[in-house]
Amino acid sequence: MSANPVVTALRRVFEMCAEAAREPTWLTRRRAAAMTRFIELGVPGRGDEAWRFTDLRPLTAARAEPLTVADTGIDPDLLAAHRLPGAAHRIVVLNGRVRPELSAIGDLPDGVWLGSAADAITHRPDLAEAAFDNADTLGAQPFASLNAALFTDGFVLAIDPDVTLKFPVEILYLGDASGPCVYHVRNTILAGAGSQATVVETYAGTGASWTNAVTAIEVGESAKLSHVKIQAEDNAAIHFAMTRVRLAAASLYDGFVLITGARLSRQDIQVAMTGEAANLILNGAWLLRGDQEATLAPAVDHQSPGGQTSELLKGVLGDHAHGVFLGSVMVREGADGTNARQLNRNLLTSPTARVDTKPELTIYADEVKCGHGATVGDLDEAALFYLLSRGIDPVTARHMLIEAFAAEVFDTAALVPDVDAHARRYLQAWLDQEGAPA
Amino acid sequence: MTPILEIRDLHARISGGREIVKGISLTVNPGEVHAIMGPNGAGKSTLSSILAGKPGYEVTAGSVTYLGQDLLALAADERARAGVFLAFQYPVELPGVNNMYFLRTAMNAARRGRGEPELDAAQTLRAVRAKLKLLDIGEDLLQRPVNLGFSGGEKKRNEIFQMAMLEPRLAILDETDSGLDIDALRAVSNGVNKLRDPGRAIVMITHYQRLLDYIVPDHVHVLSEGRIVASGDKTLATELESRGYAHLGEAA
Repeated sequence: MSANPVVTALRRVFEMCAEAAREPTWLTRRRAAAMTRFIELGVPGRGDEAWRFTDLRPLTAARAEPLTVADTGIDPDLLAAHRLPGAAHRIVVLNGRVRPELSAIGDLPDGVWLGSAADAITHRPDLAEAAFDNADTLGAQPFASLNAALFTDGFVLAIDPDVTLKFPVEILYLGDASGPCVYHVRNTILAGAGSQATVVETYAGTGASWTNAVTAIEVGESAKLSHVKIQAEDNAAIHFAMTRVRLAAASLYDGFVLITGARLSRQDIQVAMTGEAANLILNGAWLLRGDQEATLAPAVDHQSPGGQTSELLKGVLGDHAHGVFLGSVMVREGADGTNARQLNRNLLTSPTARVDTKPELTIYADEVKCGHGATVGDLDEAALFYLLSRGIDPVTARHMLIEAFAAEVFDTAALVPDVDAHARRYLQAWLDQEGAPA
Repeated sequence: MTPILEIRDLHARISGGREIVKGISLTVNPGEVHAIMGPNGAGKSTLSSILAGKPGYEVTAGSVTYLGQDLLALAADERARAGVFLAFQYPVELPGVNNMYFLRTAMNAARRGRGEPELDAAQTLRAVRAKLKLLDIGEDLLQRPVNLGFSGGEKKRNEIFQMAMLEPRLAILDETDSGLDIDALRAVSNGVNKLRDPGRAIVMITHYQRLLDYIVPDHVHVLSEGRIVASGDKTLATELESRGYAHLGEAA
């Protein structure tokens, strides 16, 4: 396994970093354990069930190198193009590191800590130690383990019980990689009981970078967290992201994910309902063309009674794009009264686009209401002709139908206006690039 | 006077299938309303599909001239922008496409085609409001996705409402009366009658004579087995009602 050139390169990078780093002992230990786990697991292949639809060939050893060139700053227009329209507590992560001079955290309410992972380790070791747990070094998630071993930075948001954040927390990830390189970013959101917040993560880097992100989220009892993730990276990029959510009793995780970027991407969203009557809402879309490949893998674990899950995830795939949906819902023994709906719908706008969709439902409890489904279809010819018959040209007609298909997830998500406008901007940008009929 | 529509010895089929239209000739002048009647399978829907440019049909012989130009050489959207309108027998539901946005896009496509400035949202709303009453349509219908969850009557009314907004030179109404109760039929017919205009031609395709009590045609044609077997004025329809299609088919 260590013969894999990617693993060899990563191992060398890890040894280099470990030598240079001066970090608390607990962290050094966790990094070492995580690296050991990654080496055990190795880079997954087609033989791994969770990765069997994914072509990992773009992940070359060259991508394993950290960025060595000095940062040259960032084009202010680029920043303006990607930030939220309204007021927000903003952190800008450039080439894998939080940049305070580009960030604008502003005034936070009492009881809220927001800062970089590096800051948390230095100034709030108590918080950092809780935030960067090593749970993922135990599971079989090689890239999450790799992230735990090699993360350079990220953000930490900790909200005390019953605190409401009026403005969204915005994390903007930019990059200007001139060559292959990797960003391991590690984020944590600790939402105390009864707290309320909105967090918007936007990944919009340029270049052939590899982003390997982990975001760990704890939603306390009766807390509400709205979490929006937009991945609009360069079409040469690789983007792997693991979002791990733990939901306490009566809490709500309201997630939204939009994927338009990267040559190769995978978004895992693993949700554990540890408390009773927890709520998961997940809306999202992936819009792919060219030779993009994206995997969306939401996995919900109903461990307690009365949990509610509602997922609507849609894919639009053109050209030679390939989409993979691996959705699983597990209802454990005792999780009675669970109500879970999972729907994946796909629109293929080209005969050479492909989708593999695998919704799974496993139930060990009683009196549950669970439904899941998946559809794959082409543009509706009757709808297309109806638009043409009203004088609308074929390109516009196709746009209208694709937009209508994708817009359902935005309508269902009902994001707050600034965040909705922000997310729709990436839908529009994608549609604007949609060319003449294939 | 240039006819609006001139069909000459038209033969057509569903692509790869057998011939359905077997030599239709028809001239429609400005201001006229023509009714084309006939039993199921006579070729009525094929004719309207061919005039509107629906894919999946093939013209094997003959010609169709619209305002002096070759209609069959135009794509479906070009025909519409040139002023040809088809009111669908089964209007299509468009989930996620807002009715108002749809209307504005269609109106602006036609305006661009004529070299006129496009309407913004407010101008569209004003134009739309002015014509809502014509079809007795509530404004709430405009904020819904096109035809989605509309009743049969609402769908047909919405078709004629689109016709009112797009102001075609040639309107083809395909079985506009089908599936309508008497109130809806009256509302739709009133709308069509208000859209009768000296510059506009209307071709109504229908199975039943009932519609012609409300929209009185200038000419009635009977289509049977792909051919027009009888033509006359509105009394032909009445005769048809009492004696049936079979009789007229034989008479021809």
